[in-house]
Parts: sequence; C-alpha cells; structure tokens
Amino acid sequence: MYGGMGKPSILTLAVLLGPALIVFTALVIVPVFEAAVFSLYKWNGLGPMVEFRGLANYSQFIRDAIVHKALWHNLIIAVVSLAIQLPLAMALALIVSDRRFKGAMFFRTFFFLPYVLSEVITGVLWQFIYHPQYGLVRAIWAILAPAAHAPALMGNTSTVLWAILVVIVWKYFGFHMTIYIAGLQDIPQEQIEAATIDGASGWQVFRSVTLPGMRTSIQLSVFFSIIGSFQLFDVVWAMGKGDPVNAGETIVTYMYKIGLQRFNIGYGGTIAVCIFLICLVFNLFYQKALVREET
Amino acid sequence: MSSRIKLAILSFALAAMLLPTSAWASPTKVVEWWHIGTAANDKAMNQGFADAYMKLHPDVQINITVLENEAFKSKLTTVMQSGSPPDVFQTWGGGVLAEYGAAGLCRDISKEVKGTAWGNSMASGVWATYTSNGHIYAVPNDAGCITFWYNKDLLAKVGYTSFPTDWDDFLTLVKKLKAAGITPIALAGNDKWPAMHMWSYLALRLGGASLFSDTVSGKNAKGFNDANWVKAGQMLMDLAALKPFQDGFLGATYNDEAALVGNGQAAMELMGQWAPNVQRDNSSSKAGIGDKLAAAPVPAIKGGKGKVTEVIGGGGGYALGKNASDAAVDFVKFLTNVENMITAAKTSGILATTKGADVGITDPNAKMVKALVDKCTFFQLYLDQAFPPAVGGAVNDAVQTILAGTATPAQACAAIQTAFANK
Amino acid sequence: MRSMTRTNRLMSAIKYLASSVMVLVIAVPLYISVMGGFKSVGQLRAEPVSVPHPFNWSQYTDMLAGKVGLFWLELANSVVVGLGTVAVVLVIGTFAGYALARIKFKLNKAIYLYFQLGLLFPLAVAILPLYLQLRTFHLLDTRIGVILPQAAFGLAVMLMLLRGFIKAIPMELEEAAAIDGYGRFGFLFQIVVPLSTPILATTAVLTLVASWNNFFTPLLVFNTEKKFTLPLGVMGYMGEHAADWNLILAFLTLAMIPAIVIYVCFQKYIVAGLTGGAIKG
Repeated sequence: MYGGMGKPSILTLAVLLGPALIVFTALVIVPVFEAAVFSLYKWNGLGPMVEFRGLANYSQFIRDAIVHKALWHNLIIAVVSLAIQLPLAMALALIVSDRRFKGAMFFRTFFFLPYVLSEVITGVLWQFIYHPQYGLVRAIWAILAPAAHAPALMGNTSTVLWAILVVIVWKYFGFHMTIYIAGLQDIPQEQIEAATIDGASGWQVFRSVTLPGMRTSIQLSVFFSIIGSFQLFDVVWAMGKGDPVNAGETIVTYMYKIGLQRFNIGYGGTIAVCIFLICLVFNLFYQKALVREET
Repeated sequence: MSSRIKLAILSFALAAMLLPTSAWASPTKVVEWWHIGTAANDKAMNQGFADAYMKLHPDVQINITVLENEAFKSKLTTVMQSGSPPDVFQTWGGGVLAEYGAAGLCRDISKEVKGTAWGNSMASGVWATYTSNGHIYAVPNDAGCITFWYNKDLLAKVGYTSFPTDWDDFLTLVKKLKAAGITPIALAGNDKWPAMHMWSYLALRLGGASLFSDTVSGKNAKGFNDANWVKAGQMLMDLAALKPFQDGFLGATYNDEAALVGNGQAAMELMGQWAPNVQRDNSSSKAGIGDKLAAAPVPAIKGGKGKVTEVIGGGGGYALGKNASDAAVDFVKFLTNVENMITAAKTSGILATTKGADVGITDPNAKMVKALVDKCTFFQLYLDQAFPPAVGGAVNDAVQTILAGTATPAQACAAIQTAFANK
Repeated sequence: MRSMTRTNRLMSAIKYLASSVMVLVIAVPLYISVMGGFKSVGQLRAEPVSVPHPFNWSQYTDMLAGKVGLFWLELANSVVVGLGTVAVVLVIGTFAGYALARIKFKLNKAIYLYFQLGLLFPLAVAILPLYLQLRTFHLLDTRIGVILPQAAFGLAVMLMLLRGFIKAIPMELEEAAAIDGYGRFGFLFQIVVPLSTPILATTAVLTLVASWNNFFTPLLVFNTEKKFTLPLGVMGYMGEHAADWNLILAFLTLAMIPAIVIYVCFQKYIVAGLTGGAIKG
C-alpha cells in the first residue's frame, strides 16, 4: 500500500518536502497573508498600522468605479484569449503537428519565440511600434492613407485596450499552441487513421477524435488563459501603465498604483486579496466543472 | 553517478558565487546615496562628487544607486514602507516628503540648517517646500517655476515677436499656429502632470493666491468645488477643443513632448526649469532648438484675480533618511557648497539654490526663470507634489479625465475634492 | 483520388499561407528592432521599416565593447541569477515532486494543493510584504534575495509538471528497485531523476526564461547597479537615452538575443516536457 518502498519515515519526508515548504511558505504564503492583514487597515505603509477599518476597504472595493472598469478589462482580455487566441493556437498546432507538413519544426520554433521575450522588452518594443511619430503603425498608415494622420493607438481611450490585446495575443499564443502540440502528440495516430478510413471528413475527425483527445490540454490552456488574464501586469505597465484615463487598466496595475504610487497599502492589500479570491473561486468552479463533466 | 558529482560541484560553485559579498572589511561610515541622474553627464558628475568627498574623508564610503525616474519612485516607496530609507536621496519635497517625515523616516536637520552658515547660504524662501510642521527634512539644490517654453521662429511665422500676456491673445496665437500647420502645444498626456500644470495655472490666474491658500487651509468650504477650479477645467476644455496638442497626445510621455519642441515640431510646452536640457537630450540633433527657445510666464486672464507674478514651481533636493549619519549630513553639505552647485548648475541646468552659484547659470532663459521665482509674490509648489500622494494622484487623474472628455470639469473637481477631504 | 490530391494541395497551400502570415506577424516587430538598432534617429523616423542605409554598426559595437551601458555585466548577472534560480528550483522541486508523486502519506493531497495556491497570485500582489521578509532575512541587495523568491513563485508550476511525470513511472520499477536494495533516495537519484530528464529540462528552461525576464524582483532587491540584470538595464538605458529610439532598439535587440538563443537550443524539451508532465498528469 505504500508502493515499493514501504512506509516513509518522518525524516525522509522532512528532507524531501522541508526545503520546498520552507521557501514557499516564507516567500509566498506569509507575504500574501500579511497583505490580507493590511487590507483591514487604513495605512499609508509608513509608520505603525493603527487605523483599523474592518471591512470598509472591501466595501470600497465593491463600489469603486475604476475597479469595475479594470475587472471589465480583465474579463474582455480573458474572453478574447478564449475566443481568438486559443482557436488561433489550436489551428496552428494542428498545422505544425502534421508530419507531412514540411518545415513544421521551423514554424513551431518561430511561433513560440515571443513567449520567451521579457514582458518589459516586449512592452517597450510595442510602445515603439505604436508610436505616432516613429513607429510601424505610422509607416503603414503613410502607405494606406498618406493624407490622414496615423492613429495614436496608445493615446485614444477607445483603442488602448485593443492595442494591448494585440500584444498579448502576439506574445502568448505560442505558449498555448505548444500545449496543444503536446496534447496532439498523445492522440494515437491509429485512431485518426481508422476514422479517416471509415470515411470521416477532416472536420469530422477533428470533432470526434482530435478534440476529445485534447481535453486535458484544452483544460490546461483555458486555465492559464483565464488566470493569466486576471494577473496581467508587466506588459500593460511597460506600455503606458493602463492609461489614459484607465482605458487599459487591469486589476493588478490598479493595485500597484493604489499600493505603491498612492501610498494606500491598506486598500492595495484589499485589491490583492480580491484578486486572489477571484482566482480561487474561478479555480474551484473550474475544477468542479471538470469533475462533473468527467462523471 | 559522475554526472551527479558534477552537478553537486556545479551547485556548490554556484552557491559560492551567490553568497553575499558584503563580508569585506568595510570603511567605518557608509553613506547610501540614491539619485536619478541617469544621463551620462549627470551620472559622471555625481560620481565625481562622491569620489571627491571620499578622497577628503577616507573613512567614508559612499554607495551610489542610480535609477531611472519611474523605477526610482517605485523602489523608494517600497523601501520607505519597509522602514529602511537610504541615507541621502532625491526628493521633490511637498506632501510626499511630509508623509515620510511624519512617519519618522527622515532625519530632521533643522538643527544643522536653521540659522547656521549652511542654512543661510540659501535664500530663506527655498526651505518651505522641504519643511513640515517646523521640521526640515531635506536640503534643496534646485528651485524654479513652470513657464511656457516657446520657439521664437515658429511664433514669428504667425506674426508674434513676443509671447502673449493675455489668455485671449494666447488662444488667438494657438489658432494662428494651428492654421499655419504648426502643432501649437506639445503635451505629455500619458504622464498626466504636464496637463495638470496647465489646469492649476489657469486656476491660479482665475482665483489668485487666495484660491490656493484657502483651499489648502480648508477656509474655503467648497474646496476644489469652488467655481474657479471648475472654470479652470472649463477653460482647459475650451483650449483642448481647438485641438492645439499633437496627435495622440493622451498616449505621449514627457520625453515625446520634449522631443517635439526640441526638434522644432511643436511651438511650445508648459514646463519647469529643466525643459531646455530635456529638449536637448530628446532632440535628434542633441542640440535642441538653441537660441530660438525662449521662456515666458503664463498669460493673465481678463477678470481673473491672479497676477502674472504668482507662480507655480518647485525643484528638487537631497533628503536625509532616518538613519543618516552625521557623515551623510556633511556629505549633503558638501554637495550643496558653492563650487559643487556651480558645477551642477552648469552640468544639469538646475537653478542652483546656493547663493553665489548663480554664476553657473549662464543661459538667459534660465536666468529669466530664476528672476521670476526670486521676484514672485506668491509661490505654489506643484499641486501633485504639494499634497500627499493619494490627493496628488487624484488631481492628475482628474485633469486627464477632462482632456479625454470622460468627465465634466465639475465632476473632475468633485473627484479631487473627495480625495482631498478623505486625506 | 485525383480530387483528393487537389484538395490536399489546396489545404497544404492554405496551411503554408496561414503559417507564413503568422511568421511575418512575429518577425516584423523583431526585424524592426534589429534594423532600428542600426539606423540614425532621423532615418528611423522617416522609414522605420526599410533596410538601414548606412548601417551604423557603432550603436551595437559601442555597447558590446562596453563604451555605452553595461551590457556584458548585466548579461552576466542575468546568467548567474537565472542559473541560481534553476538550481534551487530543481533541487527543492525534485525532492518535493518526488515525495508528492510517489509517497503515500496523510497530508500528501493537502500539501500538493497548498503548493498549487502559488498559481493563484502574481508576485505583484505581495510585493511589499515580500520585501519586508527579504529584509528580515538580510537578503536585500544579494543575488540569493532574487533567486529564492523567483524559485518560490516558480515552484507551483514546476510541481504541477513534475508530479504528473513522476507518477507515470511504473510501480514495477520501484518494486524492482526495492528488491535490488535501493533506498528511497537511491531510487530517486538512480532511477527517477534520469527518467525525468525531459521534464527537468523543461522546468529548467521555463524557470530560466522566467528569471531572465523578471523585472520587479530584481528591481526591489538590488541597489547596486553592478548587480542589475538585463531588464533593469533596459529601463535604465531607456531613462538615459530617452528619445533615442535607435539606441533603445539596439539595446532591446541585444537583450533579446540571449533568451532566443537559450530557447532555440533547448526548445525540444519544452514540448517534450509539456507532453509528459501536465497533460498526462
């Protein structure tokens, strides 16, 4: 019942799990727990924490119009990830997994490239591409509509979020594609061949064999997409801090502004806790939904 | 097996590399100095100051941390909140420094500067920005004010040989520049504060010194809901309706703004004393627009209570952390002595606060700005700096909502008042 | 049959077209960065897309020769911090992953879920308390102070990948090892680790990339410019050369190259690892 090795000694477990537990607890759990404590106070982060507010910060969170706006943006990002990025990643994964497709390895390698670039570098690079006095967008505009001024995508409240979304898809689709490639490799080739011989069309094969076979990878990719959307920070920050007028604000950029720029550590802690809760609730529901689906 | 040994050796070697290297025998006194002079000449100058001081005082070790402005602010905030400030660091005074001081994070140097030779080496007016509840927490090195910086050639093209002194005339100028195909005003909308200066200056011209002092003191019960603040917002909206700013200004950073003026692509900007230097650094030629550049005070408004001699400004200085030793204080004294301030004025274009360092200020525009400050009848620190960060941030946000058209001036002012009342 | 071939040809044409378009989408920004680094500011403004004429090699060579910026130093720092993080994650992660995958004990599931909490918050959430912790441990301005938090925040994903992989090692192997007299650690080092090489390589590469790209942890921890890593260097360089987009692009390009090289060298592990670990687990 304990596998091949018998019952483990406490010492063995301590040696194996101890270091990871200590590092993880000290540097992840304790800090987050402290942030939760801050969230009950009005505190500028300087000096002693004295002004206990109970849940007042939380009721402020619920009423805060910028919180609503930021969460709405996160939701849009999540939806776009699901509706555009994942199908795109899936399509490309199908293409480059085909053994007869020459150059598959090259394409695969290339598509993953943006994922390995740092968020800061990506943000700065796209800041340049969107720059109304220099960038690529301006150059394209000069060809398409030489008479008109190029749009300043990062300077217009109605385009900022979309400009950021382009970068997100650009940077992260390769990651999801790779997850799908991994999933595709797990589908026995014989199944696909058998279905094809039975006269199923490409689409039918995809529907009845490929898609079910990729369940786990799709679940994983959806999970990372949604959690990632709610934790988005660096790219947005490097591309203009979510402004103008919070047009590209995400919940984490807002938390950063409140906590570290406005010295409102208490309220910043509240936002942090709420981000955690949102991710936790999503995670629980998601796991539950998956379990229900399996049974 | 052998690969395991190799791995063990490798991790050992790594661990050895990673160990903190602070085990060296250290000089007796260490001074941590954080500044934001990332430009090559500033960096070299500051290193030179530190080296010179260490040569004079071999027992002092000065460790410099140079950070880009935004990175500096993020990091300093965290360090402050953790309660361990550096010994000497860049400050802009006002509400932020006051909060640090109130939390006991800064060393009170009143004793060292009040009535001493050091304190008297500067004009008495420059200390107020760095004083809170009677305690002085920093030593200024730069004091100036916000003015329009304009391109004489571009103005001449539309028939203006001097800068307008009346707001209506200013609007005419904007329209004429616009008609001539010249971007009238460069504005960094993403950085918010440049636009905020525009709004606060309009309010100052409308309501005069009393509007500011009564709002701050609470004597004016309406606070930022006062008609003059709202009207300033309305006038900013009216100005924006003329589309005087470059395309996409809401996404522009201050560097973009400076580049536009420095390359002669925009006719003017509203900016502090550092404008010529930043324009030069950001221009393609690295020379800016040279002697075509001129500075002028913000025009008066007909019927407004404010006078042209009332200014909004500020500068910078060296703050001292709570654990700053006497050596750190002495080092700041060294940094602000006449010779070094002359060097700094020449190198970084600061309007040096130390008396006699004026000789380092050679540029006629800089001299003009300095004269404006020296002779002003009312001095207001930049609004976003004068208040604690929660209020200052709200002011910047509110002005941006006016320019983006997402809030009416009255709504924007109400938002500021809410933040102000909650402070 | 003939029509089949025709549709196949059409399909494959579409596939190549779609793939090539995506390659362009990815390549153009990178191309602009590389080429922009060779241009003068004036040319960059006039024609951001064209091939530079002339090539201003000095904008790159000055950095490489150390005349401008601190490229090599920052590169070395990134390498040390990255390898350090990988070493820590691999050691503590393998130990814990092994225990969670192969040893039955009461708290197994609970401890695994505890580690999975790490997936639910970004580093930014806890940045101030994290700073306080590091100060308590006297880890500020040390490389270890960057390595440990990075390792801690990377642990959740690592364990997720590793546990599934190790679980898949057949029980018979473990029983055979027990009969041959291997202890638990003998089994771990002699059998589990060698068998897990692909997934360990995957986590190593992913950890290295994450560390390489991290901005906030090093920003908070390091004070001394001599310890700055490349992303900090990029921001500093931007501050120094405000509107000289040509110089900034040159620096961006140089900073991108190492990450790309690491990835191209090790990329087969990424797919291999994802297949074997999370998906099967």
